[in-house]
Amino acid sequence: MIINKNGGVNLGNKKIMSLAFLMLLLISTVLYGCSGGSEEGSEGNGETGGEGESGGEKVLIFGRGGDSVSLDPITVTDGESFKVTKNIFDTLVNFGEQDTEIEGGLASEWEAAEDGLTYTFQLEEGVTFHDGTDFNAEAVVANFDRWAAGDADQFPYYGSMFGGFGDEEGHVIESVEATGDYEVTITLKRPMAPFLKNLAMSPFGIASPTAFEEQGDAFGDNPVGTGPFKFVEWNRNDTVRIEKNEDYWIDGEPKLDEVVFRSIPDNSGRLNALLAGEIDLADGINPSDAETIEGDENLQLFERPSMNVGYLGLTNTREPFNDPLVRQAMNHAIDRQAIIDAFFEGRGEVAKNPMPPVISGYNDSIEGYEYDPEKAKELLEEAGLGDGFEMELWAMPVPRPYMPDGQKVAEAIQSDLAEVGITAEIVSYEWATYLEKAANGEADAFLLGWTGDNGDADNFLYVLLDQDNIGSNNYTYYENQELHDILIEAQTEVDEEVRNDLYMQAQEIIHEDAPWVPLAHSTPLLAGGSNVIDFKAHPTGSDKLSSVDLE
Amino acid sequence: MADTTVNSKDVELQKVAGPWKEAWRGFRKSKIAVVGMGIVIFFILLAIFGPLFTPQGINEQNMAERFQPPSSTYWMGTDDFGRDILSRVVYGARISLWVGFLAVVASVIVGSILGILAGYYGRWVDTVISRFFDIMLAFPSILLAIAVVSVLGPSLRNALIAIAIINVPNFGRLIRSKVLSIKEDEYIMSAKAIGMKDSRILFSHILPNSMAPVIVQGTLAIATAIIEAAALGFLGLGASAPTPEWGKMLADSRSYLTNAPWTMIFPGAAIMLTVLGFNLMGDGLRDALDPRMKS
Repeated sequence: MIINKNGGVNLGNKKIMSLAFLMLLLISTVLYGCSGGSEEGSEGNGETGGEGESGGEKVLIFGRGGDSVSLDPITVTDGESFKVTKNIFDTLVNFGEQDTEIEGGLASEWEAAEDGLTYTFQLEEGVTFHDGTDFNAEAVVANFDRWAAGDADQFPYYGSMFGGFGDEEGHVIESVEATGDYEVTITLKRPMAPFLKNLAMSPFGIASPTAFEEQGDAFGDNPVGTGPFKFVEWNRNDTVRIEKNEDYWIDGEPKLDEVVFRSIPDNSGRLNALLAGEIDLADGINPSDAETIEGDENLQLFERPSMNVGYLGLTNTREPFNDPLVRQAMNHAIDRQAIIDAFFEGRGEVAKNPMPPVISGYNDSIEGYEYDPEKAKELLEEAGLGDGFEMELWAMPVPRPYMPDGQKVAEAIQSDLAEVGITAEIVSYEWATYLEKAANGEADAFLLGWTGDNGDADNFLYVLLDQDNIGSNNYTYYENQELHDILIEAQTEVDEEVRNDLYMQAQEIIHEDAPWVPLAHSTPLLAGGSNVIDFKAHPTGSDKLSSVDLE
Repeated sequence: MADTTVNSKDVELQKVAGPWKEAWRGFRKSKIAVVGMGIVIFFILLAIFGPLFTPQGINEQNMAERFQPPSSTYWMGTDDFGRDILSRVVYGARISLWVGFLAVVASVIVGSILGILAGYYGRWVDTVISRFFDIMLAFPSILLAIAVVSVLGPSLRNALIAIAIINVPNFGRLIRSKVLSIKEDEYIMSAKAIGMKDSRILFSHILPNSMAPVIVQGTLAIATAIIEAAALGFLGLGASAPTPEWGKMLADSRSYLTNAPWTMIFPGAAIMLTVLGFNLMGDGLRDALDPRMKS
């Protein structure tokens, strides 16, 4: 990280310093490599041992693109972490199997007061955490107390979903009380429409109070929940191993004895591992490989229901993108359909709004910007940029579910822009650096996307485009007071219809201001061996594997 | 270089052909070497004049014509953007040769200076420079190149710089050893004896006389440099899109290997042929220039 920063920002001396640094780093890497060798060998053995037993034991190996950040879900925001924690922890309420309708979870029933301020949850009885601690109302309260006592660095998602922490003014949760052994009452300061949906999100998995009190910060390395699988071991950047929870509170689940999450960063490498039978399930399948998989009788293709958006963000504070005319011109200049046909292999649809059509409140009456280079040129002319301009076009270095190949999409956009006189240079950084620099507003225009966490419009429009989120998820620095007022009003509006109306208005404002070029809503693909039964890909990107079986 | 040739001609009254002419005669005897040179010349001509005659624009995308197999319109087919691969391969020759030549010339210059200093002055100068070479050679060269590019930032120019840097120690060592043997020769002794300045001895006598192995090594190094440039391009550390660099074209074709193999075959073949040409030519040159190999 240090090297990246130096290399990127400073000149001369610093570069030499970084070179020297690099030499050191290389040497240490080589040395580390030597010492790591034997260790890796033993891991390898362990794994083959596991596979060898699969005659009696059902072990599912899930290949994915990256490692988890932490296994304490409340401390992270990344999908790769939730993919694992969703199977170790349960939430009070759950999403449906393949949608974001709310169903019972650890709370079997709940009741919301008329005014939308009090929620009473009846908890499942006879549930225990993996460490033997009883699950009851006290445990739920302990979890909420822990979260509310944190801060944005510690528990980022809690703050952004519930408006803050502890005594902060924005914090929406007034109190969480145990009103019985198995009854919890949550009181809100103001109504919050997506409250239940927020509770169903993976970060709010209920953890064992004994375990997190004992372990403190180390809890992320030894997670203890009530979920269908128990944590076994985690080899960083390689595998996370979880095993069957024999005492799981839902009868007959889980069906698998063990699940291993294995990181294979390269998409084609992961597919090859699947073809070779090294893994049973792979996510992040290239759309171009879909046909091959469908034609192979040993494999099956899974489509994840689409709940995402891939977009080209235009940093609104940078010249010339501070001019809405230029931003609209960009929207007219890019041929989205061609991009989707070519690089999503048609598995996606053209985006005209910042959120996908499955989300309620989607405004279908908006007319998307047509692909029209002439119109784009006119708009540029009007903005005083008739001769075009030069810009940097940032392309993400890794395949994402909402955009299988950022580099190629960037190349197509580059050529579209050249047609209207804009010269774009494609730039890319290592993923973490890319996000950091984009968040700092250093990009002219950047490719990025978002997968919805809870199926609510708020999770797209407010999170991605409200001025409150500049510096976090609003990478474009787009600011509009009118929009902000609408989005905040929508958050507290409990009447579904009024709320949807507000979101429709919001989308019109966004369409007019054009802070993005929305590109596509993709259908992410997964593939598995034909022996995988009952795997259902969830739109949020993290899948509960309790009902999955192996033949 | 010209000096010595003229000198020797003067002395021997043109009865014997000069060493360069002799070398050329030796080189011509090897058919394979001549073929190699033919390939090299072909690619050089292609690089200079080819882009003037390419059938299609190199960066013109035509989504309707994606993945066309080779045909009479598209001799090498089209890629994932519907661009004509022939035009891109031809233009790529210019990039690859340019990078290869320039990187090698740069490393020859820097390597020569360092090598001469080390060889001629010896002692601590030699120790410092030679240890520096040793350290650089301790890394696998491509790894070092990747490291350099990641510090400087990925671009074709920086890839060129990286390749130049990693080749410096090879030339430096070569020249150093040559200088070590030449400086003991009598004519250098006499030059010293009549009070010739160090700089003049170095650049008029020692440098020209150590050039033969450098030419051989240089030719072979161009081949390696082209591969290294392609490797960096493949890893996304070289030319940026949409530049039709061969290594980058290979990387772009990776996902379509089974469906559209021509997207990979032609740039791959171009790399292979150029490298083969330079290697054959380099081998021939070595045989011709190295007196010990003469029958």
